[in-house]
Amino acid sequence: MMGLFKRGSASPAPDIGALGAGVLALRMPVAGTVPPSCIGVVADRGGRTRRAAAGQRFNPGEHETAFCFHPGPYSVDLLPFAAAPELGLRLAFAVDGPDPRVGQQRFDLYLASEAGTTVEVAQFGRAIEAAVQRELAQGVLALPPCTTVDEWHAFRAGLNQLLYTRFGVTVDDCVPVDLDNDYAQVLRGRIERPADLPPAAPASMPLASDAHSLRRLFLELPCVASGLRLAVLPPGQALFRQQQALLQRLDAVTLDIGTMPALELAAPGRPLDPARQEERAAHSAQAAAALDDTWALMARMSLAGSAGMAAIFDEADRIVANLEYASAARRIAEPS
Amino acid sequence: MNSATCRTTFADGSVAVVTATRRPRAGRADVKCSCAADPQLAARMQQVVRLARHTEARFDSRDQVVISIDRAPAQHERDWELAVVLADRMVRGVWEGGAGVHANGWSDHWQLGRIDGHDAGPGDAILGAALGHLARLNGQPDCGASVSSARAWFPLHSGGINDSLCWVEVSVYPLDSPAGDEEDSIATPGLDAAQQLAVRQVLAAARHFDGRALGRWRTVVRFGQGRFQGNSFELALVMADRLARGREFVPRGRIIASGCSGAWHAGRVDTVEGCAPKCALVLGQAVAGDRLLLPKAWETVLPEGFVAAVKARGASLACIDRIGIM
Repeated sequence: MMGLFKRGSASPAPDIGALGAGVLALRMPVAGTVPPSCIGVVADRGGRTRRAAAGQRFNPGEHETAFCFHPGPYSVDLLPFAAAPELGLRLAFAVDGPDPRVGQQRFDLYLASEAGTTVEVAQFGRAIEAAVQRELAQGVLALPPCTTVDEWHAFRAGLNQLLYTRFGVTVDDCVPVDLDNDYAQVLRGRIERPADLPPAAPASMPLASDAHSLRRLFLELPCVASGLRLAVLPPGQALFRQQQALLQRLDAVTLDIGTMPALELAAPGRPLDPARQEERAAHSAQAAAALDDTWALMARMSLAGSAGMAAIFDEADRIVANLEYASAARRIAEPS
Repeated sequence: MNSATCRTTFADGSVAVVTATRRPRAGRADVKCSCAADPQLAARMQQVVRLARHTEARFDSRDQVVISIDRAPAQHERDWELAVVLADRMVRGVWEGGAGVHANGWSDHWQLGRIDGHDAGPGDAILGAALGHLARLNGQPDCGASVSSARAWFPLHSGGINDSLCWVEVSVYPLDSPAGDEEDSIATPGLDAAQQLAVRQVLAAARHFDGRALGRWRTVVRFGQGRFQGNSFELALVMADRLARGREFVPRGRIIASGCSGAWHAGRVDTVEGCAPKCALVLGQAVAGDRLLLPKAWETVLPEGFVAAVKARGASLACIDRIGIM
């Protein structure tokens, strides 16, 4: 325990007490012991992770980062539709025990690829909200007016699977609630200051930085590809060929991401125009959005039977095409 | 569908046809525009289409859309912009307007989906100033405006060829101070006294069911056509009101509803007349993403194959006995 504070005098000690309440996970700056009822995760630069149980000592090596997370349970309020600000969903979720059938837990990958110094529950809730809003807007999840019981169950099944596949969390409960947002107040505010955000982009999520998007793509695309490789196909050659073609294209995109040129250089030694840099960052954010779509597609794939596989592969074709398009556009320094 | 057309009226009164075609991208630009060998106009068309696509949730880079106008508009004329945007949406199946869409409108804010106005156009056209926002093609509120207005559609059955879907629009605006009587804050321009009373009573009762809605809103209710009888519009009116006040889940398409109630304060939905003709009409009009809401009593008497046909169109159907979730 004393070793926790010896070497880390440069960086402040993380607030371990908040774990499990307002904070979901913390990055640990130095080696130490996993706090009680938490779980330690050590991630290397390639996104490979290993776990340490509570009370065990974790020892991050060179170029490794250590996180501690509290499995919960947590509760967040989501806004499923930006146009309906008084109607929300109250979500109770937890990071469940490890699934022994997979090599890497999805939540560990989330920590390795997306977590900063702290993962606050509110910030995590906004990420969940953005994912749910995106799926609802695309019509993958459906929450229509006057939802019937059957539709609600279908939504819940899709939501549970989406959040498990995308974030690695398990949904305990999800109920519709009245949020405290006062829509009348919001409308009054718009008289003075008209909102200038396109409705398709969830306003709660700021545009991710270029490095963050590329890091996510670099770490997560191989996992997506292995998930697609493991898909259970109905007998027959047609879908198998499609799957092989998609895997090849995904590998090409992965290679493309791994060799992506630096944001601020047009050529070695020649800086790039700042406006053009912004465009490049927008394209990598677009690629990261397509990556989110692939995780949502993985969730649908595990729910769909063999009959729905053809539709899933058609959708996969679209998403991989978007990935190829965005990564090719990110690569171009100066459009001709 | 690999081709779609949309008509538009030029300033001199002539009608031009905007044609959009979809083909595999094959490494070309996402949008290609051409108009009477005028490169400046084509560049403006491309810009309009690309900006308007920012309001869409789903991105597909596999297609190229080729858009052309059969005759060149006059210099500085911009009224064709809405027609180009709608043709681009129709050819990709983002919005299904059916055949014979006629649209006029221009905007400086296509990236927000807002439409600023229009110059000309016949009465049956989609006019920019009346539409106001691309989301309102499906009756949904504009996420940036200070007046929230939403539409819902209801089937009007008049026995035969004049059956049509009629819309009801509810616009709400926050009241400065709580109103004394809810019914006084609801205006219904163009309706006669009996209908006005009916609309006011329905809305006030349905808001009572909501708990937090009373005394907060100034409301304007408009109907697509003013002359009709019966009370089967009530459910559509209540749904549009809930959508405008941000108290209802938002459908991807339109809400098409038929139903009435003797007890809106309890949220109950009662049955109405004319199941078979209304179902036939609704089935003809529903497109992908639409939400059909019918009374619970119709569930057992729906025409053969109706549910499957609705599903095949991509719309969803619910027979409800009360409003709200489940």
